[in-house]
Amino acid sequence: MAFVRVARDGVPVTQAKDVALDASLGKRFTLKTDVVVVGSGAAGAMVAYEMAKAGRDVLVLESGRYYPSSAFTEHLGDTMTKIYQDQVGQVNTTADIIFVQGACVGGSTVIGACVMEEPGDDVLDGWAAKYGLDNLSAEKFRPYLDTVADQLQIHINEAHEINACAHKVIQGCEKMQFSWKPAQRNVKQCALTGHCLAGCPSDRKMSSLVTHLPWAAAHGARIFSDTEVVKVRTRNGRASGVEARVTDPDSGAHVADMQVDADLVVLAAGAIHSPLIMQRSEIADRSGQLGRNLSIQPFTQVMGKFKEPLYGFRGALVGVQVDEFTRTDGYTIFSGLAEPESLMAQGDMKAGKAHIDFMKDYKYYAGVNAFSTDLGRGYVQWDGDAYTGGKTIHWNPNREEFENMKASAALAARIFFSGGAEKVFMPTFQSLEVDSVFSLDEKLAQVDYGIKGMYTFRSNSFSPHGTCRMGADSYDSVVAPNGEVHGTAGLFVADASLIPEPMSAPPQWTVQALAKYVSDQINAKASSYFIG
Amino acid sequence: MKNNNRAPLPGFLGGLEPLSRRGFLRTSVLAGAAFTTGCSSLFGRREAPETLEYHSLNDDEVEVITRLTEVMIPADRYGLPSSTDVVPTIKNVDAMAQRMPPQTRELLGLGIWVFNNRPMVSFKFSRFTRLPDDKALAYVDAMQEGSFFERGLMTTLKALVALNYWRDERTWPGLEYHGPVTELWGVRRLGNAPLPRA
Repeated sequence: MAFVRVARDGVPVTQAKDVALDASLGKRFTLKTDVVVVGSGAAGAMVAYEMAKAGRDVLVLESGRYYPSSAFTEHLGDTMTKIYQDQVGQVNTTADIIFVQGACVGGSTVIGACVMEEPGDDVLDGWAAKYGLDNLSAEKFRPYLDTVADQLQIHINEAHEINACAHKVIQGCEKMQFSWKPAQRNVKQCALTGHCLAGCPSDRKMSSLVTHLPWAAAHGARIFSDTEVVKVRTRNGRASGVEARVTDPDSGAHVADMQVDADLVVLAAGAIHSPLIMQRSEIADRSGQLGRNLSIQPFTQVMGKFKEPLYGFRGALVGVQVDEFTRTDGYTIFSGLAEPESLMAQGDMKAGKAHIDFMKDYKYYAGVNAFSTDLGRGYVQWDGDAYTGGKTIHWNPNREEFENMKASAALAARIFFSGGAEKVFMPTFQSLEVDSVFSLDEKLAQVDYGIKGMYTFRSNSFSPHGTCRMGADSYDSVVAPNGEVHGTAGLFVADASLIPEPMSAPPQWTVQALAKYVSDQINAKASSYFIG
Repeated sequence: MKNNNRAPLPGFLGGLEPLSRRGFLRTSVLAGAAFTTGCSSLFGRREAPETLEYHSLNDDEVEVITRLTEVMIPADRYGLPSSTDVVPTIKNVDAMAQRMPPQTRELLGLGIWVFNNRPMVSFKFSRFTRLPDDKALAYVDAMQEGSFFERGLMTTLKALVALNYWRDERTWPGLEYHGPVTELWGVRRLGNAPLPRA
């Protein structure tokens, strides 16, 4: 086998400007490949690497731009406008929940907070039993999780990676006798800049941008950015490639139409976009579950103000997690205070002198993200023509989910008060700050469910999953246990869409292990999928 | 009737969503906006400063956003760079609006108009831009404590203004926020990770 050399820096990516300058391609062109991978994030990058390593000709198509780490500026506001999906504007239909997602080569792994957590053996065994997914039992799936841990340098935070903000959470937990633990992160020699959300300019975050994508390219994979897959093409019920359009990321100008002829199509565009691509393609869906069962792991940002300056934005962004209620109630709380721009996601910022005071107190704040599990009742839908229609994300809390969000935020507030906070800002659209733990319940009672829980808690989602759930029963699931879509040969899904039911752990680790598992399933039966 | 082609709103514009869901309100407000614009021209409305330099916001919108910026972020009174004369907050908002899809941009305009013209008895039905400082601030606070629609709209407009002020690095020393540090600290780039061992 020839020696494989990984580029020292960057990823070889064909961008819209390259396509525009290549006269041989023109406005319409066709590429041929063994495997076309749609999306270059956690799942797509893993599949590209595994398939290219196995000797397959691999083409990766990413709708976002290529933004190399050498260009990162550590300005969150600027980064949001360049590589966040819809400029941080991907929202539900009532526009009160933001779905934060990376839109760039490397996907959300580039802008994530590096938090990694396993799903838990009981969760995996539950999936195996309930959905006929024997290969996902804890015993059989463990090697995949271990491989990902090795590749991404996942480790438990060490003492120097726990900053002042995290220490306030620890103090609060110790007083409340809540269980906490250092968070696990995929970082190598963290530089403690606190700029995870704007991308890591020194390549210490083990995102796909510096791991599986350059590794895949070293094995010969080709990567296109600015290329949005519109449809999966099928012939006689079998996937035969994709249709895509190349767009200039700055001007929005249409550059070219691309057709890809492939033996295999692997969707890895995430739990929002993979089902939308299938809906646009009118892929047969016997189960009626395509795009449904959307679980979002809603989280809110709660901030405590302390007497002494903390400079809680310095150091590793995420230090510790409170796991006391993860298994029992589905609440997980992570420490973290990001750039000043991130305070806009907190809730009311006041006005006039009160706003100035609120911002000037930044150095006194500690922050947490309070997660709760939901019931997986949401869905995504493509409306209209494949080229001109639009997506809608449907998720609003029912009363149970609303109460979960409230309880999770209340726990975060109690932890801060126990840690010595003199004030806690609640994550609500109405102005709600609490001066004492004794008035917390009374204040929170002011947050009424109202109409569909709209404009109550200012919530976000970084972890949607479940929209193409995997299972043995084709009448109850979209994707078969080997990753292939029920009823459409040659079409695979490898991302968070597969997760069969709501989970409480941040899903990136699970997703990358699933992507490797699906790749192994394909490679194990390569002779039946590939010609030659 | 279902609108199948409605583009999703950016998160910071969440508060505009109720407007998009009320066709009757939308129609009447747009008609009202057109009427008001015409009237204001007839009566010699004050031109916003540097109007010609804005690419997306119209004169009325510039006036409202400028006034909201003055009221919400009176920065120069507290030793921070001015939110209107030093930091180009309104121009930043304009640049953001320029990149919005047409439907989102239309809703932003509608939201700004509603915010400025929303009749309130306690404010003698005056437009927001005509309120004196203390009344204008009281109006903003009242909107924030209002119905779900009012607080959604207010939160949205506040986020739009605040984001486009505090993203300017000249505002950071006032917060004792360090800003970018990788280069300052001389942190070495590691480059791509080596291939995993077989």
